[in-house]
Amino acid sequence: MKTISKYYPLLPVLAVYFIMFLVGKNVSGMWQLVAMLLFYCALGQAFNIFLGMTGYVDFGYVAFMGVGTYGMAVTITQLAHVEGLGFLVITIGFLMALLFSTLLSLAVGAVALRLKGAYFAIATIGVNEGLRFFIEGARIWNGSEGLIFMAELNQILGRKTASALATFWADIMVLFIAMSAAYVTLLFMRSKIGYALTALREDEEAAKVMGINVTKYKIIAFITSACFAGLLGAASWALKTPYVFPPEVFEIHYTIEAIIIVLLGGAGTLLGPVIGGLIYGLSKYYLSIYMPGFQLLIFAPIIIVIIVIFPEGIIGMLKNRFKDTSLARFII
Amino acid sequence: MFFEQITGNLIQGLVLGSVYGMATMGLSLIFGVLKIVNVGHGAFIMVGAFITLWLFNTLGLSPILAIPAAFAVGMLLGLLFYYTTMRRLIKAPELASLLATFSIGILLEEVIKLIFGSEFRGYNWAVGKLNLGVTVLPMSKLYACIGSAIIALLLYIWFNKTRAGTAMRSVVEDSEGARVCGVNVDGTYAMSFAIGIGLTVVSGVLLTMFIPVGINPYMGGGYTLKAFVIAVLGGLASPYGAFFGGLVFGLIENGSYMLFALIPGVEPFALTRFLSFVILLIILLIRPTGLLSTK
Repeated sequence: MKTISKYYPLLPVLAVYFIMFLVGKNVSGMWQLVAMLLFYCALGQAFNIFLGMTGYVDFGYVAFMGVGTYGMAVTITQLAHVEGLGFLVITIGFLMALLFSTLLSLAVGAVALRLKGAYFAIATIGVNEGLRFFIEGARIWNGSEGLIFMAELNQILGRKTASALATFWADIMVLFIAMSAAYVTLLFMRSKIGYALTALREDEEAAKVMGINVTKYKIIAFITSACFAGLLGAASWALKTPYVFPPEVFEIHYTIEAIIIVLLGGAGTLLGPVIGGLIYGLSKYYLSIYMPGFQLLIFAPIIIVIIVIFPEGIIGMLKNRFKDTSLARFII
Repeated sequence: MFFEQITGNLIQGLVLGSVYGMATMGLSLIFGVLKIVNVGHGAFIMVGAFITLWLFNTLGLSPILAIPAAFAVGMLLGLLFYYTTMRRLIKAPELASLLATFSIGILLEEVIKLIFGSEFRGYNWAVGKLNLGVTVLPMSKLYACIGSAIIALLLYIWFNKTRAGTAMRSVVEDSEGARVCGVNVDGTYAMSFAIGIGLTVVSGVLLTMFIPVGINPYMGGGYTLKAFVIAVLGGLASPYGAFFGGLVFGLIENGSYMLFALIPGVEPFALTRFLSFVILLIILLIRPTGLLSTK
């Protein structure tokens, strides 16, 4: 019984995803919106593993999604002429995305994670720009012209499967990424890793004195978070829109969105990024219909207000509200 | 011929560097006094650029007159954001102030986009050129360089000779000790934040005197990154360190552009920007307190 109750907090998360899936599948014309919401929930959940659990801000987070996208794109363009690989190519693409984001997070982490607080933020703020200008400047992977692999994808999978992949199955993959990120978050929270990260978030010096290897746990959280970002980039960007341009995949805008989602829902909570992603995605969708171009103008002050007045976010507030009630075990 | 090219590049690099240095002093001042990293730094530079553009294009005022206007606007913005937001975050975890300044930057970008639109703009301030023999320097660049040097000097005098400046230095040393000695620490924080933002907005004016094109609400991002590199070069907490860091960075940027242009098949401009990021990582790795710091 104990082992099952451990997973109670996952129930609301899975319920939200299940409802989203049902709405998207059964209400006509809704799938696109649901796909966008799933993307934002997954983004929030992946970002939360690092920002929420360590209290460090990675301003270059989108770079991991960027290299993940390149992982998939490079695999597809390179393996297109090999006969009979089919879906194996996609699998290899995801592995490459994982590899690229792991390598990048190791490289960035090796420098940045030695630094604390403000210095860490400074070290990461240029990662996406730096990488973008490296790819453009040294003309790697076709430089600023980018990679376009619509034809290759059609050649590998056939036109029909490729289009089904772009309009439906890629979103299902995003859903799986979101769910696994939620599961990993819970796993971390309920293990030594989570306790160590909480200790270091509250007081890094004290945690060190207590004998916690803070660097090791920071690296674990950093790489995990980066890997989910890489997979998300591969599934949601490379497979849905079969082209990749450096200025688009290293656009700091997505880091901003990830920060908004996590803070809105509640940093370091399990359900927070899902709620944050839903609220952000829905408001972005409707704002882009009724007031196009105003999303950030509206969200920037909201974020400032959240930081100043209720830094714990929506789920953080609910958590305090329902403390010591039977609902408490579902909301973490 | 080769010697001339080198000297010409050194001069260009130093002129550029002085403006870069000026553009980083505000960041370092704010970090030195409030221990807050202004992640929205570039957005304030962008505000300065738009003030210059607006004064020049609609009122026909010279960019030199935009300097006091920009400083006033910057001070007001600084006081506004200090009293509404930053004041409550000084004691909060770093995460809060980083995200707050980041959001302030986005807010400024979006407000400017709402007013001016997001297309690239520029202005044409024809004040002639100065031929130095080894290189030709537009007068506008020279004015920007002289302006930066004067402002840096004024800041130095203000810091060392006035009462408010001394109070600020005492807060940098030890804010609790300063409070015990009767320094109005909260007032000093507000003043430092306002002056830091004021300097940053002014640097936006000087930067457009240097590069009067490509003015756009989102132009600040690249400057934020450069300012961080320069600030870290100079030790992050010292405005003068930042000024000299700027000179060094100007030389590096100009020199590396010249060298990258010699390699066939690459885009030198993009590689120069990549290089600034690499420099940042290397300095943070080997000497996070800054190359020019004495400690």
